[in-house]
Amino acid sequence: MGDLLTVENLTISFRTDEGLITPVQDVSFSVQKGRTLGLVGESGSGKSVSTKAVMRLLPGSAVIAPDTRMHYTAKDGQRVEVEKLDPRSRAIRRLRGGEIGMIFQEPMASFSPVYTIGNQMIEAIRLHREPNKRQAREIAIAMLERVGLSDPATRIDQYPHEMSGGMRQRAMIALALSAGPALLIADEPTTALDVTIQAQVLDLMRELQRDLGMGMIFITHDLGVIAQIAQDVAVMYLGTIVERGPTAEVIRDPKHPYTQGLLAAIPSLDRLNARMTPVPGDIPSPTERPTGCPFHTRCVHAIAGLCSARTPREIAPEPGRAVRCWLHDEAGRSAA
Amino acid sequence: MTDTLIEVRNLSVRFPVTTRKLFRTEVRELAAVDDVSFDIKRGETVGLVGESGSGKTTVGRAILRAIDPSDGEVIFHTHTRDVDVAHAEGEDLRRFRTHMNMIFAEGPVQLSSMAQDRLRLFRSRMSLVFQDPYSSLNPRMTVRDIIAEPLVASGMMKNRAEIDARVREIAARCKLNLEHLRRFPHAFSGGQRQRICIARALVSRPDFVVCDESVSALDVSIQAEIVNLLKDLQDEMGVAFLFIAHDLSVVAQMSHRVAVMYVGKFVEYAPTDRLFFTPRHPYTHALLSAIPQADPDAAFDPIKLEGEIPNPLDAPSGCRFRTRCPHARPECAAREPDWREIAPDHYVACHFAEAFDFTRAQAKAAE
Repeated sequence: MGDLLTVENLTISFRTDEGLITPVQDVSFSVQKGRTLGLVGESGSGKSVSTKAVMRLLPGSAVIAPDTRMHYTAKDGQRVEVEKLDPRSRAIRRLRGGEIGMIFQEPMASFSPVYTIGNQMIEAIRLHREPNKRQAREIAIAMLERVGLSDPATRIDQYPHEMSGGMRQRAMIALALSAGPALLIADEPTTALDVTIQAQVLDLMRELQRDLGMGMIFITHDLGVIAQIAQDVAVMYLGTIVERGPTAEVIRDPKHPYTQGLLAAIPSLDRLNARMTPVPGDIPSPTERPTGCPFHTRCVHAIAGLCSARTPREIAPEPGRAVRCWLHDEAGRSAA
Repeated sequence: MTDTLIEVRNLSVRFPVTTRKLFRTEVRELAAVDDVSFDIKRGETVGLVGESGSGKTTVGRAILRAIDPSDGEVIFHTHTRDVDVAHAEGEDLRRFRTHMNMIFAEGPVQLSSMAQDRLRLFRSRMSLVFQDPYSSLNPRMTVRDIIAEPLVASGMMKNRAEIDARVREIAARCKLNLEHLRRFPHAFSGGQRQRICIARALVSRPDFVVCDESVSALDVSIQAEIVNLLKDLQDEMGVAFLFIAHDLSVVAQMSHRVAVMYVGKFVEYAPTDRLFFTPRHPYTHALLSAIPQADPDAAFDPIKLEGEIPNPLDAPSGCRFRTRCPHARPECAAREPDWREIAPDHYVACHFAEAFDFTRAQAKAAE
């Protein structure tokens, strides 16, 4: 298998004052080399927490369930069992940045305001790739040029605040890529940008991925962005992946009622002044996660007595597709 | 034009910007809104789109006199007589405030200019008006008191029973029940909170409401519900909306007419279907092409705009869009394009608008 990263049965709980809450439950996905997995879901659906678990960047109050498997295939072909690593170990530090890069919605979250862009890039390059300072600087300048910053030899000595929003986003991508990761996790990287700048950044990321052959996890709440950048998609609702498969197929023929509702709720430029189709009800708070299927409280197709009581398993309605819904699981229904 | 509610004529809002040089301080004027004219009809929704920093929010606030306009007139047509909002004072302005209200979703608050206004004009209403759906609700007030606040603060109603009746009526329209009215805001989700904000904005039965990014902070599945609610309330109450948003697809669903702003200026203003299907300005066209659609069959080929939005302090000469415009010619730098009516009710500011055909395939719309 060409899987770069395989996550199986990822379950994360947090110890809080109000008891144990479980924002991520039984999540499985995989990312292949040179492909992009889109992780889509509304706020609080557990998209970011799941990917932070892969980097072992969760706070101390988080507990990863013992049957969770997170396997990463390193650049040298070695298989790393991420779930077994100590979050403070040397092994995980080699993974962060050097193997798996990460970019965020807010560039200032990645940059320190008190060091120049170059300073921060060179540090990452020397740590993971090239210990020679002068050569590391050359790599950093080349990287800034690669992401489309004009005059990279000057930019490298600037501080993050001296750049505009779009430029900072580019610089952040350069920073994440400077250590040469094989997998890039992009957490809502274009959400804060204006549409014309978003189009530039999406274009750049597609191009970089093609040239560098990276695997990518692209987190967003915007299915439009997913349709443009991700070959595969996983739709999350309240900490569970309710549906996954190739993006074009999922959008054309959504199986899960939540995916169907989400797609219907998106305003389209082709239907002006039309009445919109909301998904009924409100998103439950994480402390009141419904039993059974988490979507049953808002689902128009919910089966009385079944959906509220029992959690549906993930089944494959078609090759390459996966859905967690009792409507598609006839065998499971009759067994229950 | 008997059905015109608000007329905006040559509105400009300038802010002083001070830069400290070595031995002197330089004061320059930043024109956040520069010579903007348009009108809003009774019961109509006008969408206002543009990228961050284009001046959308400033237009909304200037119309409400939350910011003082530097130049121009904002005329509010009441049923009895016309009030020039830009120059209204004291009792006139206070009375006018009961006709208007504001829903805010997000955005920086100009505290300095607000503090003045708050003292002089509508001190009791300010905290209710200028905040986002998560922080705009006072956690120590019940939902009933929050919704009743505009009535109490403006002195419109004094009788408690009367206020209660009005609050219950508007709450019911916003799908909030009696049980909700007794609770405190922390117990509500984002969509419910936004319904509380809408109820509060509409409780005084205003003629005009500014919705500044009112649905932007909401999740997609909730956003659709709020858009539908706003439209229903408009049908029932005949209120006009200025719907400010950066998301063009939401604006397309909400608005009768849409204006596009770029660096403090209107570049195009037209009925929604004309703007979205036959735009005349290259910027409108570029914006539309940059929206990623959730349709795997739709070609996504955004028009590449070079660089970023110019700083309004150093706005380019002539047409402000020329530095990024793929069709720019020497003339664009020399002369500023006029704001002209290119077709009935379709305004555009571009020298070469007639030469462009940006017509978008309407195949799907015809279905």
